[in-house]
Amino acid sequence: MCFVAVKTWMPREVSSLADILADARVWKLKDASAAPARPVWSTGKSSLDARLPGGGWPTASLIEVLLDDTGLGEVQLFLPALVESQRRTDSSGAQDAPWIVWIAPPHEPYAPALAQQGIELGRLLVVRPASAMEALWAAEQALASGVCAAVLLWLKGTDDRWLRRLKLAAESGGALGVLFRPERHRFESSPASLRLLMTQGEHEARLDLLKVQGGRPGPVDLGSIPMDGTSFGSP
Amino acid sequence: MTADLFAAEQMPPAAVPAPAATPAPQTARHARSKQLWYAVVFPEMAHQEQSTVLLRGLCMHAQQFTSFVSIEPPNALLLEIKGSLKLLGPLERLHADLDARWQRLGLPAHSAAAPSTLAALWLARGGVGPGGEPGGTAPRAGQSLQLEDLGTLPGRLAGLPIACTAWDISRLQTLRAMGVTRMGELLRLPRAGLARRLGAAAVQDLDIALARQFAPRRAFVPRERFYARCDFETEIENVAYLEKALEPLIARCAQFLRERQAGVQALRLKLRHRAGPATRVHLGLASITSERRRLMDVLSQKLGRLGLEAPVRGMELVSGSLQPLIAASLDVFAGMTGAGAGRDSAPQLVERLRARLGENAVYGVASIAEHRPEAAWRRVQELRLASALRVDKKTAHQMMNDPRMPRPVWLLAAPLPLDSGLILEQGPERIESGWWDGKGVARDYYVARQSPDAPQSHGAKLWVFQERRSKRWYLHGKFA
Repeated sequence: MCFVAVKTWMPREVSSLADILADARVWKLKDASAAPARPVWSTGKSSLDARLPGGGWPTASLIEVLLDDTGLGEVQLFLPALVESQRRTDSSGAQDAPWIVWIAPPHEPYAPALAQQGIELGRLLVVRPASAMEALWAAEQALASGVCAAVLLWLKGTDDRWLRRLKLAAESGGALGVLFRPERHRFESSPASLRLLMTQGEHEARLDLLKVQGGRPGPVDLGSIPMDGTSFGSP
Repeated sequence: MTADLFAAEQMPPAAVPAPAATPAPQTARHARSKQLWYAVVFPEMAHQEQSTVLLRGLCMHAQQFTSFVSIEPPNALLLEIKGSLKLLGPLERLHADLDARWQRLGLPAHSAAAPSTLAALWLARGGVGPGGEPGGTAPRAGQSLQLEDLGTLPGRLAGLPIACTAWDISRLQTLRAMGVTRMGELLRLPRAGLARRLGAAAVQDLDIALARQFAPRRAFVPRERFYARCDFETEIENVAYLEKALEPLIARCAQFLRERQAGVQALRLKLRHRAGPATRVHLGLASITSERRRLMDVLSQKLGRLGLEAPVRGMELVSGSLQPLIAASLDVFAGMTGAGAGRDSAPQLVERLRARLGENAVYGVASIAEHRPEAAWRRVQELRLASALRVDKKTAHQMMNDPRMPRPVWLLAAPLPLDSGLILEQGPERIESGWWDGKGVARDYYVARQSPDAPQSHGAKLWVFQERRSKRWYLHGKFA
């Protein structure tokens, strides 16, 4: 006891980098990002998880995905998280299974494919608004309602003000908002906590993190995005 | 005359089982009945489409005289008036008052009172005359048949033609073939034989008419609705003010529903203008509710989208039919804690979206066990909004999960013909089905990518198939 008390009064001897990092007064970027207040949902890809603060998609936030074409595996990036969001609340037992809302998807969501991935179809809502304004309104309502785990929204374009509203709605409702927009919005400012750019590479889709709150932006090596956990060879 | 009624004549061959040969219930012949029924028949209503609706309206009139009114399709009402005699009697006066009511409404009617339901009905129908003789607009004072004594009942029925029983044609023809045209002749026939020839139901009807058997009737219960009307002192042009004015009406409606432990699933709002037809707003709710907040929410969504063409002078709020509210357990602390405050339930969200975007714009999807890809799913408009639904892990995991049969997230509405180069990555998966309903398919499905030299190559992962007969390639889905 006595020895310890004396030691704290002694001037600290700096011996190595590990010692400095062990000091509680040193604020580390990685640790700060590793302990987010909200739970995260795994993306299902370890290489992407490792790049995201907390190791997965942040909940209660807005994620923006920029891409020009559909079919790059962009929905696939979020399906494991959607499944997990429905499962997790179920295991706690206290709450109802949350809803997943898809607003203005470019094509019909194919029910067998979603069921194959483990999505509870009874809790999936598809909304087909007549205009972009209505789509944004519907997204805001769904995000803020508190009954949705995730809201996926496909838009041609929108303004910064609306994105801010969506972000606030997502934060207040505790839902994950995912916005799919064309690539031309890449250089506009966005309040989204995470911005991804998906482009077509030589053989597979390429994913760039344009903005990561609490992490480092940069390209992500996805390997190939599997559709159902298997890799395909050429016939 | 009454002695030989239904005289128990034994059938000579005892082996023949007499169908429904129930012994005639014994009642005191000359007792005064405990019930007194007033029947009114509206001959002109028999062939009208909306007769039930009209009769329901007439029930409201009849309920001013008695609490028990029953609708007798197609064109008659039955009123129990014994209980009303003390207050509104004597019988002659009550009868006359009732008849005067139909006369005032301009409805030709024939009425009669009798101690049993069917006797009153038959007597009233008998007033029509055998061949549907065009009777007067109202029964003449002498024609009103009244009787209260059970003992005289068979005697009064005896003169009626058998047609007033309103039995079906074949039964009446059987009777005519037997030479029976009047009720008296019918009542004189042996009971067992009658049951055999006409069926047990006919005998039972006779028992009911003679007040030997009790026949309960279903009382008419008026459908309750909430109705509130509000006239403005000044005309309102702004929807926001309209919403404000609507708030007390909604509050009253919610109060009304709460008092009755009921909820509504539809509301109608009528906005009246100085000229021109009134604007009608109809709103449906995803589930039965009596909550003021939800009703107001949906109404204000509807109003927000409503373009007011003219200033509003007044409005009327009418509820749909009341439905019993099934109480769901609510979270006690939901309204108190900061996080739970202001949160919606799933039905609330769905109906708010539907109120603004339209009923068909919000739907669910369901998977169908079917091999043809385009038939393996459907839209679901009736969402399972019950809060009890939990994710069932077992069913979710039992889903087809064969890596050799990948399915794309997007399915195109119709297969798109392809001509550019493809790089096939996985397949084929042969789907051949549906020959039985004329929409047969014979296809080989592949997972493919567009080759880099294709015109609009974004390298998307595609679900393509080759039609096996025509050997042509089509795009059917995209792996997003």
